[in-house]
Amino acid sequence: MKSTLTQKIPSLNISHLQLKQQGTSLLSLNEEVKGGEVLTIMGPSGSGKSTLLNWLVGMLPSDFTATGELYLNGQDITNTASHLRHIGLLYQDPLLFPHLTVAGNIAFAMPKGDKQTRQDEISEALNQVGLAGMEKRCPQQLSGGQQARVALLRVLLSKPKAILLDEPFSKLDSQLRQETRQLVFEQIQRYSLPAVMVTHDQSDALAAQGKVITLDTVSLNEVAS
Amino acid sequence: MIVANTLFTRVVRNSPYLLIALLVVPVLGGLLGVLLPAFGWFPALGAHEFGLFGFVQLFQTPGIERMVLLSFGTSLVSTLLAFIITILILASYFNSPWLKRIQRLLGPILVIPHAAAAIAIGFLITPSGFLSRLVSPWLTGWDTPPDWLLPHDPYGLSIIFGLTLKELPFLLLIALGVLAQPEIGKTLRAQHKVASSLGYCPMTGFFKVILPSLYGYMRLPLLAVLAYSSASVEIPLILGPNTPPTLAVAIMQWFSDVDLSLRIKASSGAILQIVITLSLLGSWWLLELLVKKCSAAFLINGEREHGGMLIKRLTDMITVAMLTIIGLALVAMVLWSFAGFWSYPDILPQQLVSLHWTSALLQMQTPLFNTLVIAISTTLIAIALTLLVLEAEQQNTKTISAISGFIIYLPLLIPSIAFLFGIVWLFEQVNSQHAYVNVVFSHLLFVLPYVFLSLANSYRRLDPRFSSVAASLGVPPSKIFWQLKLPLLISPILIASALGLAISFSQYLPTLLSGAGRINTITTEAVTLANGASRRTSAVYALMQMLLPALFFILAWAVPKFFFRKRG
Repeated sequence: MKSTLTQKIPSLNISHLQLKQQGTSLLSLNEEVKGGEVLTIMGPSGSGKSTLLNWLVGMLPSDFTATGELYLNGQDITNTASHLRHIGLLYQDPLLFPHLTVAGNIAFAMPKGDKQTRQDEISEALNQVGLAGMEKRCPQQLSGGQQARVALLRVLLSKPKAILLDEPFSKLDSQLRQETRQLVFEQIQRYSLPAVMVTHDQSDALAAQGKVITLDTVSLNEVAS
Repeated sequence: MIVANTLFTRVVRNSPYLLIALLVVPVLGGLLGVLLPAFGWFPALGAHEFGLFGFVQLFQTPGIERMVLLSFGTSLVSTLLAFIITILILASYFNSPWLKRIQRLLGPILVIPHAAAAIAIGFLITPSGFLSRLVSPWLTGWDTPPDWLLPHDPYGLSIIFGLTLKELPFLLLIALGVLAQPEIGKTLRAQHKVASSLGYCPMTGFFKVILPSLYGYMRLPLLAVLAYSSASVEIPLILGPNTPPTLAVAIMQWFSDVDLSLRIKASSGAILQIVITLSLLGSWWLLELLVKKCSAAFLINGEREHGGMLIKRLTDMITVAMLTIIGLALVAMVLWSFAGFWSYPDILPQQLVSLHWTSALLQMQTPLFNTLVIAISTTLIAIALTLLVLEAEQQNTKTISAISGFIIYLPLLIPSIAFLFGIVWLFEQVNSQHAYVNVVFSHLLFVLPYVFLSLANSYRRLDPRFSSVAASLGVPPSKIFWQLKLPLLISPILIASALGLAISFSQYLPTLLSGAGRINTITTEAVTLANGASRRTSAVYALMQMLLPALFFILAWAVPKFFFRKRG
């Protein structure tokens, strides 16, 4: 039913989710995010934002319990192992792998394939985000903004079906924040990916131009706009 | 930081020099004391001319190639095995509650001295040991002990088995210690999560993301393990072959021989031992390069799954087998210590008696007294010196230099057999007749690095604002040290003390050589008894070797809880 209805349209559907911590209700959510849209989750510390992301990627800590279902492009992935979900994650820290070069970090994320084709794809992607010729650099040699762009490329080139953003711009300064934010949202629309963003920052929420949900510390959510 | 010029601050300021001198002088002096006789200069024998006679004699020794091969092979294979199993356990149980459980089970093995571990393994694998009894006669049909060569097999398999089991908990706890560091652990776990979100199965994610970073932190302890195992004496002496033994054991026998002329050959052997250890470290480095080169393409080939389930099952089996073997070895040892008549192939003794314990406890009064006096003296000096050096760091607002840091671990990296005999020679030169003092001094070389390693982190992490607040209230540095810092650090100090005591309890070669055979401790007695006739007495001594450090670790854990529990 639901799965057949939404099969063709990229979407992430959080259906009747109830998250509990040691029996106490933490949050309830029932939302659908369409491809290219960004659902923003705001709220104070302890309101369950990170727990929600952990549930979405299938890594809910053992002291939490959840009921409800998660559909990705119409497919029920509630009980799918986290590495088989095809949900990309972008953190506030770029978390680039220090033992790999810039190209290595991106190649790590790409599906298997012809070596030359992959290299060409990496060069083209780097070129598009203003990092042409930086393939052989170590992540430590890049600035914060450059690292953030490589982290974004790494997620996008892994060909995810949805993307989660965990305070992705909070460690960038104001100018860089705007640029990176614009780039990320452009790419989300370009690839038509459903996205869920957790943030403390009102300006991130406004820039996302999507639905904003503000969680409170008690339990249920409140729709802000 | 400006500090008042008092007696305390002067002592603190000079303490790093004392620490470095205490380590450098004996180690380098010891090396010199071996180097000179190795090249023929040994005045006590009337040898005043330099030459290669010692080396010629050494290379003419029957079986020398086999000794070298045994030393090289057993240490390389055991370190490699311990490392591989450590990595398999980490990869299989990363982010699983089982990792904590395995850590809890293997942790206590760390405090078991090498000699006791070797004795326990011996009880398990001898032809009439617990392992063959467990499967006989119902599975094997054996009514008499089988005719196998374990332990003391000519290929050193028993040594490899013993060293692997002893090194594994150390490497695992080192790795878990790295993962427990807030910054590193958090980053590595987050990177693993990223790999998982990119479609990597947990096992492959571990090998491709965590291992390359984690290895950097494990490298130095791994090299220390490799260096140690190449020149260790206790396990090869108890589990290894006799004809010929490993080079380290042979050197020890030549040095201890009544024929003083063998000292020159032994010294040349000690130099050869250093060469072997260096070759091992070099081989490991080459192996690292090879693995790095071969794995470069593997890391980024986009393959998400490399037989994770198969590796996981294999690791489950290895882990269960390893824990079972350790458990069985301990059970066997306890049974032997209480066994009356115990015929083969019975699993349990026909009767249990306390006779071996009562008679051994009567015999071991002097060794026990020596063990405790030496360990307590050594540990007190090590703790005091470490605290002063760490306080000096805070007064200078910078940590000790990289060179000094390296020097602290020098005695762990250089094969002890290569410098301990030189130290004995140094003692003779300064006419030090006090066997106790000599033994304490040599134990200090091995206790100090561990105590420093154990305390440094806690001391450096102590919030400097406590001292600033106290100083602003007019409290002098000595009072801040005694009445503020030490009470705050009581728990890590007690743990470091327990570790220091455990290290001292386990010393065999330093006690034997520095004490000139006049000081008997539980460990020297246990090693002597291990190859003797009475398996039962040997079991009692080995158990005492385990109980002593365990007792002090329990005390270190319980005392702060009892005396410093929260009020209210």
